[in-house]
Amino acid sequence: MFDVPIHGVVSIGPVDLWITNTIVVTWVIMAVLITFAIIVRIKLKKFTDKPTGFQNVVEMAIEAFDGLMKSNGHKNISWLGGWFFTLFTFLLFANIMGIFPGMRPPTADWPLPFALALTSFFLIQFSGIRYGGWKYFKGTYLSPHWAFFPINVLGEFSRPISLSFRLFGNILGGLILITLLYTLVPAVVSYVVPVALHLVFDLAFGVLQAFIFTILSLTFVSLAAADN
Amino acid sequence: MQDPLAFVLAMAHIAAAVALLNGILTTIGQGNVAAKAIESVARQPEARGPITTNMFIGLAMAETSGIYGFVIAILILFVRPLINPFLQYLTAMI
Repeated sequence: MFDVPIHGVVSIGPVDLWITNTIVVTWVIMAVLITFAIIVRIKLKKFTDKPTGFQNVVEMAIEAFDGLMKSNGHKNISWLGGWFFTLFTFLLFANIMGIFPGMRPPTADWPLPFALALTSFFLIQFSGIRYGGWKYFKGTYLSPHWAFFPINVLGEFSRPISLSFRLFGNILGGLILITLLYTLVPAVVSYVVPVALHLVFDLAFGVLQAFIFTILSLTFVSLAAADN
Repeated sequence: MQDPLAFVLAMAHIAAAVALLNGILTTIGQGNVAAKAIESVARQPEARGPITTNMFIGLAMAETSGIYGFVIAILILFVRPLINPFLQYLTAMI
């Protein structure tokens, strides 16, 4: 009931690539986002000083995220704003995919949150080393004494795991609750409360978890960048 | 014991229920976070934005242990990694 459906297998030499529902839904989200980005890029030439309609929406989103970036991020990592905005929009679309029929939210499959959390992990290490240098490495890994190196490594590696499990657990929990209710009391759920159910478990929790994932990554990277 | 599989499955469901019990303490912790955030907003209404953001970070941090318990319950119920050793042990005992 909660397995990820597999749509096909592509064999490249000895390697079998499984085209799961997660990958297909991710492609759909990518197509939507890229199309939207191209539309914005074409319309960008017509943007004026007095925003109207479409330009208002775009500027509102960018300004809201810019404020978030300024209030939570260190000034060293302001060049990473584009990455975090992309992460947020992708997670937003990925988490609310459950409201469309036949689609499973791709973040309810653990590899996707873990891959995104791994990028955050490498960003943390990269910005720490870049802005702190040897001091960051010493302060993070050899903190009280060099003998604590293995424990510190474990602590650093637990970060992407907890980050990914937080997103995964929340989205999978909502998915399981909705599926159980649809299976157990189909008459009630199909005709009386599906809107409320999807509103809470897909839309509200999805937006909240996308926000939390982004803001936690931003905070970790910003702490590492401000370490010197 | 008639059917070892039924016994193992029943025990797995009880274990999942026990793993979900840590939701009690997680919820108490999250309630504390929200209560303190509301107190701070009541004391300083102009600092509402940063307090809300930090409250969500704190809520997410407090949620971690509850999520771990939930993931363990899901693993016990649906993935069942230990079912074969238990079944072999029980059938050998019979």
